[in-house]
Amino acid sequence: MLDSLFDGYTRSLLIFAGINVIAAYSFYAPYKTGQVSLGQAGFMAVGAYTSAVMTQKFGMPIAPSLAVAGAITGVLGVAVGFPALRIKGIYLLLLTLGFSEIITVVALSWDYVGGAQGFPNIAFNRFSLDYVAALVVVLIFFFARLERSSLGRAMDSIHQDETAAEVMGVDVVRTKLFAFGLGAVIAGVAGALFAHQATYLDSNTFGIMASVEVLMFVVVGGGSTYWGPFVGAVVLNAIPEILRSLRDWLELVPVSWTNFYPMNNVYDFLHNFLDFENAKRLIAFGLILIVMMIFRPDGLVTRDALRHLLRPLQFWRWRTHRA
Amino acid sequence: MREVTASKLCLAIEGLTKRFGGFYALNDLSMEVAEGHIHALIGPNGAGKTTFFNLLTGVLPADSGKIIFEGEVVDDVRPSKRTARGIARTFQNIRLFPHLTVLESVMIGEHCRVFPSVWKALSKGVLQPPFREAPEEVQMRASARELLEFLGLDGKRDQKASDLPYGEQRKLEMARALATRPKLLLLDEPAAGMNPHETEELDEVITRIRDRGTTVILVEHDMRLVMGISDRVTVINFGTKIADGTPDQIQNDPVVIEAYLGEDVEL
Repeated sequence: MLDSLFDGYTRSLLIFAGINVIAAYSFYAPYKTGQVSLGQAGFMAVGAYTSAVMTQKFGMPIAPSLAVAGAITGVLGVAVGFPALRIKGIYLLLLTLGFSEIITVVALSWDYVGGAQGFPNIAFNRFSLDYVAALVVVLIFFFARLERSSLGRAMDSIHQDETAAEVMGVDVVRTKLFAFGLGAVIAGVAGALFAHQATYLDSNTFGIMASVEVLMFVVVGGGSTYWGPFVGAVVLNAIPEILRSLRDWLELVPVSWTNFYPMNNVYDFLHNFLDFENAKRLIAFGLILIVMMIFRPDGLVTRDALRHLLRPLQFWRWRTHRA
Repeated sequence: MREVTASKLCLAIEGLTKRFGGFYALNDLSMEVAEGHIHALIGPNGAGKTTFFNLLTGVLPADSGKIIFEGEVVDDVRPSKRTARGIARTFQNIRLFPHLTVLESVMIGEHCRVFPSVWKALSKGVLQPPFREAPEEVQMRASARELLEFLGLDGKRDQKASDLPYGEQRKLEMARALATRPKLLLLDEPAAGMNPHETEELDEVITRIRDRGTTVILVEHDMRLVMGISDRVTVINFGTKIADGTPDQIQNDPVVIEAYLGEDVEL
């Protein structure tokens, strides 16, 4: 449906950006109760391999295999969530990181899923873009609703003061488990969507760096509103593309302007810098993170910023408050 | 002052003990709280009053002893379930949710009454047609605003909880605790940080809470407040009960005066 609107390059760009948005929401769900997980890539891996096995070895169509991937990661998420209930902060980070590494090692050493050779020839999903777009819209509606609901507020209260929330009658154990399991389900579906777009998986696809990137989306976008994960994932996916297009503009600079010292060096530097691949991408992400921590430690989108921006649109509400 | 009669028990404590290392914060404490009373718990600093509240609400586990609330032992019940059964508290060192608004904070208290399980909160509160507020949500907001009006905070309902002045933060803690519809309310130094005018208001507020049918256990250092509104007073020192009686009996008890000696407190 949507895929006819875009050329192949843009389409795959949008699909992977969309999968990243979904992954960002998978981090956001447990984060809403204060649980910081560095294991979301591990859940994505489980979802991806599950869906790959289901379609290739059991001949299941893609749509139900996405659901199976979500269900299995959900069960796994609750299982990991139980020990995660007792620990906080850096220890939780290490526990989820350890979980993610276990998954990677299993994927690497289990021949049934390809082992070190990887998992090739996974069924390609012609409707990836539709699936991804639909899921992103559903997630935005869901988290918008959650934010304005009692359950969402209960999750916020756990994030802010767990003991006080428990004493006020919020079932901290179940709410945190729910949040962690929900994050795992979303991550599993994101991984499955990835598998059917990339058509090839290996154990490196979902390493630590993938988890760190997912965390980056929410840190950059902001974790206090449901727009944060979306904005963070979109911005961080757009930056390399914008820089790459800047390089195309750079090509238009006449050679006569740049073929003398020091302009030739400036040109070479920019030309290299704007080619945004791999190692440079990580360096740039690191720099963005540092700059963010200094200027906007709460992320690009915060609740106060949203309130401020939306105030002109809600003047009627504003007026009733004064009355 | 209401007549102290042998009415129904709201809470019975039997031999409650809590050690921190070798230090007995509470030592074999037994007491009874009658339903519909304001029961004050006083004692010098470090006597174990806040520890007592932490054991009652389940924030800390007791080393030995029994807590019987409305005829049922609640020792093994999780804090949130005790709140669901009807025990609510405020904190001595204020513990509000800093990023929630005043109204949202009170609605947290309502949560456990309106949505007894996570599943209900998800299916009834979240997974509903979009662009329409769930009826539970409307009802929660209305009753939260009622409580805010009761405590005189309704005008500040859209401010962040952490932006309120100290005295009003204490009131908000009370509103949040009342929102859980408690049968037993534990107030941990509600007058601390309030000016004399606010303390006077507090007098009336606590009395009205009692008259709405909630039993109150009050830990407080302001003796004028304690002696003015309490139906019964228990005095503890070093984790042990040293006196128990009506305010008049306590004020004339030589053991109590001895415990407070040098503390410059007028009983």
